Parts: sequence; C-alpha cells; structure tokens
Amino acid sequence: MTRPILSVENLTVRFGATTAVDNVSFAVAPGESFGLVGESGSGKSTILRTIMGLVGDWSGTVQVDGLEAAKTPRRQFAQHVQMVFQDPYASLHPRHQIGRAIAEPMRIHGLPNAEARTMELLDLIGLGSKFAYRYPHELSGGQRQRVAIARALALSPKLLLLDEPTSALDVSIQAEILNLLNRLRQELGLSFAIVSHNLAVVSYMCDRLMVMQHAKVVETLTREQLRNRDLNEAYTRDFLAASAL
Amino acid sequence: MTRPLVEIQNLRIAFPTEDGSLHEAVRGVSFTLGREKLGMVGESGSGKSLSGRALLGVLPDYARMQADVLRFDDIDLLEAPRGTRRKLRGGRMGMILQDPKFSLNPVMRVGEQIVEAIRIGDRRISRDAARRTTLDILATMHIRDPEQVFDRYPHELSGGMGQRVMIAMMVVREPDLLIADEPTSALDVTVQLQVLSILDELVTRRQMGLIFISHDLQLVSRFCDRVLVMYAGQIVETLVAGRLNEARHPYTRGLLACLPTIDGPLEPLAILQRQADWATQL
Ligand SMILES: Nc1ncnc2c1ncn2[C@@H]1O[C@H](COP(=O)(O)OP(=O)(O)OP(=O)(O)O)[C@@H](O)[C@H]1O
Ligand SMILES: Nc1ncnc2c1ncn2[C@@H]1O[C@H](COP(=O)(O)OP(=O)(O)O)[C@@H](O)[C@H]1O
Ligand SMILES: [Mg+2]
Ligand SMILES: [Mg+2]
Repeated sequence: MTRPILSVENLTVRFGATTAVDNVSFAVAPGESFGLVGESGSGKSTILRTIMGLVGDWSGTVQVDGLEAAKTPRRQFAQHVQMVFQDPYASLHPRHQIGRAIAEPMRIHGLPNAEARTMELLDLIGLGSKFAYRYPHELSGGQRQRVAIARALALSPKLLLLDEPTSALDVSIQAEILNLLNRLRQELGLSFAIVSHNLAVVSYMCDRLMVMQHAKVVETLTREQLRNRDLNEAYTRDFLAASAL
Repeated sequence: MTRPLVEIQNLRIAFPTEDGSLHEAVRGVSFTLGREKLGMVGESGSGKSLSGRALLGVLPDYARMQADVLRFDDIDLLEAPRGTRRKLRGGRMGMILQDPKFSLNPVMRVGEQIVEAIRIGDRRISRDAARRTTLDILATMHIRDPEQVFDRYPHELSGGMGQRVMIAMMVVREPDLLIADEPTSALDVTVQLQVLSILDELVTRRQMGLIFISHDLQLVSRFCDRVLVMYAGQIVETLVAGRLNEARHPYTRGLLACLPTIDGPLEPLAILQRQADWATQL
C-alpha cells in the first residue's frame, strides 16, 4: 500500500481525569476523504486538534505525509496539514481585517504574491475581494466560516482537517463549499479528514467513515457499506435512524 | 382568539456603512408568535439573528431600528425603558445565542454559570438546591458525567457540550419567550433529538413561545409548527411545518435542491441561482 497521508496509531488523549480519545487508530490514503462521525463529546475534534499539535497530553503515533507529529517543527508541519475549526469565531482576530487574516499564514511563511492570492481565495470561497477590508464582526456566522476555509487553503496544504466545516453554513452555501472542497480535492490532490454530525454530508463527501462513541471507535465503514446499510454496531444503526428522521 | 405573545410589524434594521449610506439588513419583517414553535430559516445574512436580537433588545448601539409594532405580551417594546427590557431579558425572555463563546463567561466554571442563572430568577433557591437542579438539567441534556462537566470551563467543552450548557442556562429559567439562534448546529443527531424534546416540552408544559432560528430546513420543518423563510431581510414565504415539499417560493425550492442526501448521487450539488426579483422592494 502507498504511504498514507495521515496515520494515527493507538492514539490516547487525556485531559486530567477525562480520557477524551481512547486507543484510536486509523489511516487516510493520499487523495482520500475520510469522515469522523459520532456522539457529541466522543473525541472527534480532539483527534484533529492533536494532529495539529494543539493538545498537550497524548500518546501514540501520528504521522502526516511520513512526518512524525511529535518530532516535526510546527511550522514545517503547517505546510502539510491545516485545519478548519468547528467554531468560526475563535479562529479570526476581531481587529484584523479579513484580507489580513487570510494573508497571515502566507506572510509568516514568506510566500510571494500574498495579496493577489488573498483576493483569489476570497473569490474562490464566494465572498469576493471587497470583503478583504471588512472586519469579522461585520460578517454573519456563515461568512466567517468561509473566511476560515480560505485561510486554511492559503498555504496549499496536502491534507485538510475539517471540523464541522459546514455546520454553521446555510444549505445553499454548504452546497457551494462542498462542491468547492470536492473540486479542490480533485484538482490539487488533497486529502480530507472531515468531522461532521451530518451523515448526508459525510456520505456525500467521504470515501470511508469512522463512527465514534465515548472516546472509542465503534466501527469503520466504506461509503458503500453505509449506503447498503451494511452496519455492524447498534450505535451506528441508531445514528443512522436519527439521521433519517 | 387570544392575543399573540409577540407581535412585530414592519421591522426595519439598518447599519451605517463606510461611505455614509445605510445597509438595510432587515426590511419590513412582520409576524406574530403564539405559544408555539415558530421556525425561522434562510441563508446566512438574511436577517434572522437581527430580528431575534431586536425583539430581545440587544442590537448594537449603532444599528438603526424602526418598527410600527414591537410588542411582547402587553409590553410595548418600542416605548419600554432600558431597565424594563433588561429585566425582561433576565426573566421572561431568553435568547440562546448562535455562539457559545459570547454567552458563556470564559473564566467561570460552567456549572456555576447555570447555578447563577437559576438564582437570578429566584434568590430564595439555595446554592445546594440550584446545584442539584443544574446537575439534573445537564443529565437531561444527555451530558455524560454531569458532576465532572459542572467543574469545567467553557473552553474545556466540546462544541456540542457548549451548546447544551447554553441551552440549559436558558431552559432552567423557564422563560415565556425563548429565541433559540441555531441552538443545535453543533449537536450530533441523536443528542439533537433529545435537546429538541426538552424545548418542545417547555412549549407544551410551560406554554412558552419559541422562535427557532436555523438554516436547517428539514430540521425546522419537522420540529416547528410554522416556518418563516427569510431572504435578503424579508420574509418571502410562510410554511406550515411538515409541508416543506409544498414550498412555492423559488428560493425555498432552491434551498431544498441544494441538500446532499445519504443515498444521493455524488455529482456536484445544485447551486442556488439567486434572482434579483426574489427580494422585492418594499
Ligand atoms: N481543553 C480541554 N480540557 C478538558 N477537557 C477537554 C478539552 N477539550 C476537550 N475536552 C473533553 O474531551 C472530550 C472530547 O471532546 P471533543 O471536543 O473531542 O468532542 P467532539 O467529538 O468533537 O464533540 P462535538 O461533536 O460535541 O464537537 C469531551 O469530554 C470534552 O469535554
Ligand atoms: N453588528 C453589525 N454591523 C454591521 N452589519 C451587521 C451587524 N450584524 C449583522 N449585520 C449585517 O446584517 C445582515 C443580517 O445579519 P444576521 O441577522 O446576523 O443574519 P443571519 O440571518 O445569518 O442571522 C448581514 O448582512 C450582516 O452582515
Ligand atoms: Mg467537536
Ligand atoms: Mg445568525
């Protein structure tokens, strides 16, 4: 098998007395889109945050494109993997104009043409370049999340970690963003790890998915298995039943 | 027929822009609310949150608001002094904000915040009793291990847990009117059902009026009695819940066509083609 773009082995994450992630393993192939679904509080976001180096106390092995998370400087890692957070408010500085927010990772990494690329990214995410001069508080929740996505794309990483990328977006914008993500995945050969509680979104976006409950993996399914209702665990069936209501 | 709990007529909200002109964000919204579940859907920026905030009286200072009628129960909100409105917010009216980060105090344990919310409503309730109520409400919200969560700070909660804590804070006060702004967007489907049933119970048992703001059309049409569809600051259509498929307005129909489904095709999703005449000038 080709080397996975992301491999997580025996990952355990603790916050004091809480075990947020309990011995979780999975791998994502290059070009693949992998979904994480499951109970609220089951550790999905924590897995993504650990991959990004945002969590202190963890054990196991995390590799992105062959680079070990524990041994690679954050700055180097950032060119391989970027994350879009669940919370579109937390990721934007309230007093920085949108254009600056998007250009920031490019400036930090000394990329040329940051300005032009910022405008291009603003067009790409459907806001248009006039938004470059707005402040986060002037944007609605959905607009802010689009900015966060543009920012994550700025360094052209190979792997995008997306935490509920469209749960703050209305359905028309969700469709545009999902189409955009799919197009980018194809054109740029990106891989995705997507956390979502929307099984329809996961079935549409992901080749495989992992179901989690209470810090543990319940089961891993291919899209075909999901669509054929070829499920092994009761929790997955409940989840599907609640989704289909 | 009894008088509705809320009446809004011709609500308009505008913001001054850089070039001195006004950005009209809400353009003549009118509706009434009884002791019912009223859904409000529409794309982001269509004016849903602002309409809710206007009712609650928490618009930014620089917003220009006008209305022919803005009434809650027998209170004319246009004339009510600031103090009255503040008191309403702490008691009979509640709003679950779209973003937990704005409504939870970052440096206070979440359990204590719920205890406060309970005791603001009634000082005679002891801290111990309020603590027990808090643990109970967290449990009904299907929070695992309420004792542990009680002692956490907001940043230590998952997205869905933060939303449930916010909902708990509002629900314990049992307000007469609750405006829930995208309250369940971060919840997984099974937990979402449970939280909705709690809101539902308040509407039936407490005769609460609920304005449920969401961009999730299907959720809203399953859960609410009526649904207002907003577009560009106006209500373009009112639907009887459960009759989403009978939606007439091309905007509503367009929204429905954009949704992926579990068993649907993998081709690009339909994109909403916005038409200039959807936003009729009033
Ligand atoms: N910084 C932290 N400190 C303490 N506990 C934390 C912290 N971050 C997360 N947790 C806890 O770890 C567990 C997993 O949280 P996580 O955010 O990964 O859940 P999630 O699966 O993303 O849930 P949701 O779907 O609600 O977003 C939860 O019990 C949460 O409260
Ligand atoms: N504080 C503000 N300052 C300037 N414009 C605002 C402010 N709040 C909201 N707006 C604008 O008003 C419109 C409606 O916003 P809002 O009610 O938040 O939309 P939503 O339907 O997504 O809840 C948007 O165009 C938004 O940009
Ligand atoms: Mg999460
Ligand atoms: Mg809003």
